[in-house]
Amino acid sequence: MSDTGALSADEIALYDRQIRLWGMAAQANMRSASVLLVNLGAIGNEITKNIVLSGIGSLTILDSHVITEEDLGCQFFIGKEDVGLKRVEAASRHIEDMNPRVKLTVDTSDIHSKDKEFFSQFSLIVATDLMPAELNTLNTLTRELNLPIYVAGINGFSGYIFTDLIEFLATDEKLKSARPEELGKHSPNKDIVKLSERKDEEKNAVYQVITTKHSYKPLNELLRSAVLSNQLSRRQLKRLTPKVPLTLTLLQYGDYKDIEFEDYKRKYNLMCKQLGLLIEETKDETIADFLQQTAVDISPVAAIVGGAVAQDVINVLGKRQSPLNNFVVFDGITLDMWVLEL
Amino acid sequence: MARETNLIKCIGTESYEKLRNTKVLLVGAGGIGCELLKDLLLLDVGEIHIVDLDTIDLSNLNRQFLFRKRDIKQPKSVTAVKAVQRYSNSKLVAYQNNIMDTEAFPLAWFGQFSIVYNALDNLAARRYVNKMCQFTGKPLIESGTSGFDGYIQPIFPSVTECFDCTAKETPTTFPVCTIRSTPSRLIHCVVWAKNFLFGQLFAESFDEGVSDQNLGTDDQQEIARIKEETNELHALQRLVKSGDETNVSHILKKLFVDDINKLLKIENIWKTRVKPTPLSILESSGNPPTDLALTWTLQENVDKFIEVTKTLMSRLKVEPFIEFDKDDEDTLLFVSCAANIRSHIFHIPAKSVFDIKQMAGNIIPAIATTNAIIAGLSSLVSLRVLDLVSNVSNAPLDIPMAFTARASSIATNRYLSNPTLAPKNPNCSVSSNIQRTVLKLTQPILDNMTLYNLNQKIISKYGFSGEFSVLDTNTNSLLYDFDFDDLEGRKLSRFNFKTGSVLLYKDEEMEEGAQLRQSIEFYLEISPESSEEELHLVDLPRYTYTYHSPYGDEEQDLDDTATEFNHDKTEEDHFAIETLIVDDEPGDDNRNSLKRQLSNSVHSPPSKAVKLNSPQSDDDLILLD
Repeated sequence: MSDTGALSADEIALYDRQIRLWGMAAQANMRSASVLLVNLGAIGNEITKNIVLSGIGSLTILDSHVITEEDLGCQFFIGKEDVGLKRVEAASRHIEDMNPRVKLTVDTSDIHSKDKEFFSQFSLIVATDLMPAELNTLNTLTRELNLPIYVAGINGFSGYIFTDLIEFLATDEKLKSARPEELGKHSPNKDIVKLSERKDEEKNAVYQVITTKHSYKPLNELLRSAVLSNQLSRRQLKRLTPKVPLTLTLLQYGDYKDIEFEDYKRKYNLMCKQLGLLIEETKDETIADFLQQTAVDISPVAAIVGGAVAQDVINVLGKRQSPLNNFVVFDGITLDMWVLEL
Repeated sequence: MARETNLIKCIGTESYEKLRNTKVLLVGAGGIGCELLKDLLLLDVGEIHIVDLDTIDLSNLNRQFLFRKRDIKQPKSVTAVKAVQRYSNSKLVAYQNNIMDTEAFPLAWFGQFSIVYNALDNLAARRYVNKMCQFTGKPLIESGTSGFDGYIQPIFPSVTECFDCTAKETPTTFPVCTIRSTPSRLIHCVVWAKNFLFGQLFAESFDEGVSDQNLGTDDQQEIARIKEETNELHALQRLVKSGDETNVSHILKKLFVDDINKLLKIENIWKTRVKPTPLSILESSGNPPTDLALTWTLQENVDKFIEVTKTLMSRLKVEPFIEFDKDDEDTLLFVSCAANIRSHIFHIPAKSVFDIKQMAGNIIPAIATTNAIIAGLSSLVSLRVLDLVSNVSNAPLDIPMAFTARASSIATNRYLSNPTLAPKNPNCSVSSNIQRTVLKLTQPILDNMTLYNLNQKIISKYGFSGEFSVLDTNTNSLLYDFDFDDLEGRKLSRFNFKTGSVLLYKDEEMEEGAQLRQSIEFYLEISPESSEEELHLVDLPRYTYTYHSPYGDEEQDLDDTATEFNHDKTEEDHFAIETLIVDDEPGDDNRNSLKRQLSNSVHSPPSKAVKLNSPQSDDDLILLD
């Protein structure tokens, strides 16, 4: 299989239903990409499944975990007989079987043993199930290497995605409306830098072609400066799901196991204030429920969060539309899923 | 730590135990179905029954992650169940069957499940399962995806909005004259090549059913030409059947030169349009193209047209007829080249075979990620529908539906939109103002009872007024109403009733202010082996509603009815001109789904919808696929 050039007839037939969505060029772009996934937990399973099916060039999975009974409740590349084996080693043949065209590498070393050079070989990094201290270390590294990173985690019924693509130029097309987009600042992290038009004869419609510069910031900076009053309406600030400040507060701790309720609650209230939220005071019960579910994996939430991460990774690698920018929170009870520019 | 530790932290031990004892139905093992099966298994749902008629195809493998190349042509349901054994902790039952098969899945069968998940790709089956859930009162999680877009909708029967409470997208329709005389978009040329041309030349006897009223033009000259062209094509069909390859150049000249010249003579239609240019290339260069992903030149399209027409002609020597199938490359190439040549004549940009395949085959783009997200939402929301999540109200009207807002460009800062469920639509013919029950018909009852006998028993038992109608909703045929009693004397055995036939009894008293009895749908269960002679009718509470004339008249006379009838007829004809079904990979039941769609779009008593649905107008429908 060649990494460059046009898609083969076999590839076109296999990827037919998605090429119809994102085109041959994006499909060919994906084939030349090399992605590192950190950890093959519940979200890792979902992301792996989605990007391997989509025909990514190569995927490396870094995971040193040994399979526990608990893993069986939220992962689908392993079975009962695999308990005690390394997660990636038990899963690899099932992943390969799903799409043999993808070059799969599994690595059972500890993430802490990996140096800058290791990370520099990838075009994009997806980190899951890491503690905030580890995330910050990794994020510092990706900044130094100028590498895009996606971070995702699940806390029981809720989940989050953080993206740091450093800077990204995206081209989107929108039906030209009565109020077309204008050049300049669009929203806190987006600037429209170029506008043009395209006429679609077949659909008899005019599209605005919008080039947007997306700016990102590292996680620790995001947590310090996060504000929502600049992008949500008063009504939204009043009714926003508490999962947003609950998640942001959680990420201020180096490790979740260090969390003490009263301290967390104090930090939580400060976070609500910093964001400019107008939500009612959160009940202790709600906070306690959330803390009981930190880093708890359940499969439907993994499917939704992992699906959103994979979709955006495919989008960015295929060089298509605007990527997620830069913080997503999913509330699995209300099904709220916010894309916030923090 | 155990398999269920995480789940118990989220829903508690009691809810987990309930989940272990829950039996669910999953309808569909395709894109959403594979994902949903995995999610439900990892939620440790006790027992999962999965139904799918389909077999696995290569183009499924980019998203239906339970299937491999070696599984192609194997049944989806059975293969999916085999594929998940390694991590399944649930009892799994697979059926390779159509969910609408009433012998395999009678109403009582649906009754065994706590909840039903729809993971379907066509309207007819969605509507059917929706109705079965209305009959059995089981909650349904409806879902669907198309490319980046997707939605989930929990349905609590007779409480929240059901699948039929909102109008579904009507199929795109094109007037015959646009297809036959004045195409302006490539899709018009594709419809012409596939439905008209291919159908005429190669398919089993094909009656386009064109009549004067539904042409979309008043120009008598143009109408005459359209009819003449149809007759001439019958002559072409004979050339095709002859198997004589030298006839191909005749065919090419007739279609793309002679017919266009005739069209040019009708000056009226070119006053406001650019005139077509008859084809100038009639010979093959002897070098037909092969790359289906490229847009071919006119010469290349002509070369390939000549080549593939010869291939199809030789196939006709062994096959009695050939139907268009997007996966039969000869038929696809014929339609693509013919459409591209025609588009060139009408100054419309051509496209590749790859692109035309999507137009002709109604292919809906589909990806793993959207399916994963939608299946995740479907399984997640079902925990609330089953009341397994605490600290939150799980009352039906407090539960959300969801759709992909950001992907669908509805919002930029919300990945999902999540409105709470709406109450049922009081005008919906499926979820509102209707009672449902089962009616058991044994052999002695079928043999001895007439429709009249049955009607009398039902109206006296349930308290219908003297004016009522009886409709077989599966076939959409009227069995009885106040001015149609021809069939009343027939024995029930002569009606071709089957298990799964549904009879709708509706009060048709039309006096302003009259108290009408709520309609009843009877799901028929035919038991030929039973010797029971007595008809058993279950007790149902008698609900009534007040009749208001749609015209506000105090009393409605027959003239008014007649006016309404005519109005509806016009509307129906409008739909019947030419119809292109835009449905997710439609199955064999297209025609039925379309019929249902059409009759549902007519908001009048069902009895009227049926009178309108004459067999003639059905034939006017031209369906893609």
